[in-house]
Amino acid sequence: MTIAAIDEAVCNGCGICVKHCPIDVIRLDRERKKAVIAYREDCMLCGQCLDCPEDAVRLEPGWGRAYLLGWG
Amino acid sequence: MKETTVQTDVLVIGGGMAGCFAAVKAREAGRDVVLVDKGYVSKSGETPYAGDTAVFNPAWGHDLDAWLTQVRTVGEYLNDARWTEIVFRDSYERFLDLRAFGVEFLEEDGEPVRLDHPLTQIELPDRDKFPPLVSQVVHWLPGWPAKLRKAVVKSGAKIIDRFVVTELLMEDGRVVGAAGFDVEGNATRVLRAGAVVMSAGGGGFKAVGYPTHELTADGHVMAYRAGCEVTGKEFLSPHHTNPEEPGWPPIYPVFASGHSAAFPGAWHDPEMVNAEGDPVPVRGMAWHGWIDAEWEAHEGRAPVLAAGPPDGKVRPLSGPGGHGSMLGHAAGGIVPVDDTCATHVPGLYAAGDSCGTCFVGAAYSGFGFATMHAAVTGARAGLGAAEYARSADRAAPDARGEAEALERALAPLRRRGGFTPRWTTQVLQNALAPYFVLYIKKEERLRAALTTVEFLRDHVVPKLYARDDHELRLAHETANMVANAEMKLRASLLRTESRGTHYREDFPRRDDPDWLAWVRLKDEGGVMTPFTEPIPEESRPDPALPYAQRYPMRLPGEEAR
Repeated sequence: MTIAAIDEAVCNGCGICVKHCPIDVIRLDRERKKAVIAYREDCMLCGQCLDCPEDAVRLEPGWGRAYLLGWG
Repeated sequence: MKETTVQTDVLVIGGGMAGCFAAVKAREAGRDVVLVDKGYVSKSGETPYAGDTAVFNPAWGHDLDAWLTQVRTVGEYLNDARWTEIVFRDSYERFLDLRAFGVEFLEEDGEPVRLDHPLTQIELPDRDKFPPLVSQVVHWLPGWPAKLRKAVVKSGAKIIDRFVVTELLMEDGRVVGAAGFDVEGNATRVLRAGAVVMSAGGGGFKAVGYPTHELTADGHVMAYRAGCEVTGKEFLSPHHTNPEEPGWPPIYPVFASGHSAAFPGAWHDPEMVNAEGDPVPVRGMAWHGWIDAEWEAHEGRAPVLAAGPPDGKVRPLSGPGGHGSMLGHAAGGIVPVDDTCATHVPGLYAAGDSCGTCFVGAAYSGFGFATMHAAVTGARAGLGAAEYARSADRAAPDARGEAEALERALAPLRRRGGFTPRWTTQVLQNALAPYFVLYIKKEERLRAALTTVEFLRDHVVPKLYARDDHELRLAHETANMVANAEMKLRASLLRTESRGTHYREDFPRRDDPDWLAWVRLKDEGGVMTPFTEPIPEESRPDPALPYAQRYPMRLPGEEAR
């Protein structure tokens, strides 16, 4: 997968990762004041969520989506 | 559903390099400006990944003729020489603007460090007839896009982040604003404007490997639907990756370091080796990475191995055909009709990768050229739009037209079923991504893909449905990608020759008598219609030069003729 986790114990709810994600993968749970991965399958692995000031975001290598790559 | 109406002089759609310049320049001209972006200005589009920009400056010893010759040679004469020169000549002033915005550059003794960016590591045949490639880039330091955003804020322009524009509002054949919805929160907005700058980037197909999924040709397609001409769609901006970890490492931390040259990109590595252990020759273009690897695969010699990201190790290379073209970087887009980036539709201006100046021609010819082009066209479009907004009469708002536009924006959310954007995108990718469609082209294969795309256009796109606001955005992006696919296929079918990054297996030679021309597309009564526009006399190659000297690179299949 791509974006793997946001550590809720560390997340301070500032919402920077929500704003910086260009494709709306992350949303803010406003009640709990925590960032949540809402649309993981759309992550394009740009890494801009790593702007997190608390270092709460973890990415993983790999790609979870079936897709034509290379030449078979 | 919350509904808001915003009024401004100049509306800028898309907040990358081009849009930020447009907003700042329109403000300097004294106009009210609203800048909208479906992401967050400074973090969206391709801008965050740009590591450098080219600057032409005679005081640094740059020779205009040499730079122009480079673009002509690599772009195979399809660059609009007038625009190429405009971009070069304006670029130093835009560099000074960037410094004034607070963008920091890698410097030594108060002077920016300038790096020669070799476009090619190979020896061109007839080297004496083709001068060394000479572009120079300067590297900015990390965090530079945030400085662009600050410059926009400081200018007094209003920024609306995370807002998706779905269509341009028209009245009496003029663009008078735009409509759309917030990415999050189920709210719609009508943006009324005296003039609009379209700077929403180019378009790909959400391919894996390079993080350009938000670039779904929205700007090209919205302008096309408003009556603009679009050009350059048959050309590609290939960027290889590797199939094992196509998106790894995330590209932003690497590129945003300000030293993209440190990123060992496989696409221009000269050491490609095919499955039989033989070196892969450079074909067609003056650098590796267009159809070299694709041709090896076509001949049954995949996998191709190359050193590349993330660590410079040798591993299998995925063709760009596999992961999809990036964007057609600065090769095409909305056709400008004058030096202010005005388009065929009054009130609409185009900038950056949305703007089809054809300043690089049939292949991308220099590192840092896209950011340079974006800054220059952004500034010009901003000033052009500001002047139009100042001088043109404003139309009275058309409340009914606005309501209908919002209804169309929300239509996928109203449908209870149909086709999902994700499924549709995957069908589209499967039709277009294989190397034998958009990289090694042939009439019957282009027609087969077009049949699929036409079906998506007619049967699937009208029935796209969205279960929430996130999917509503995906639905509109998907519709735009389908339109972009049709543009790319129709332009590729019309150009019955090979040139630059357009390769036709069935027409493997450059055909100067018939094809020193641009392909353009326009809507004629609801039908996407491609046509040709001859390039100006001054852009043509010297007909006295033998073919092999006009075109030093050999394409597969042309030797046999």
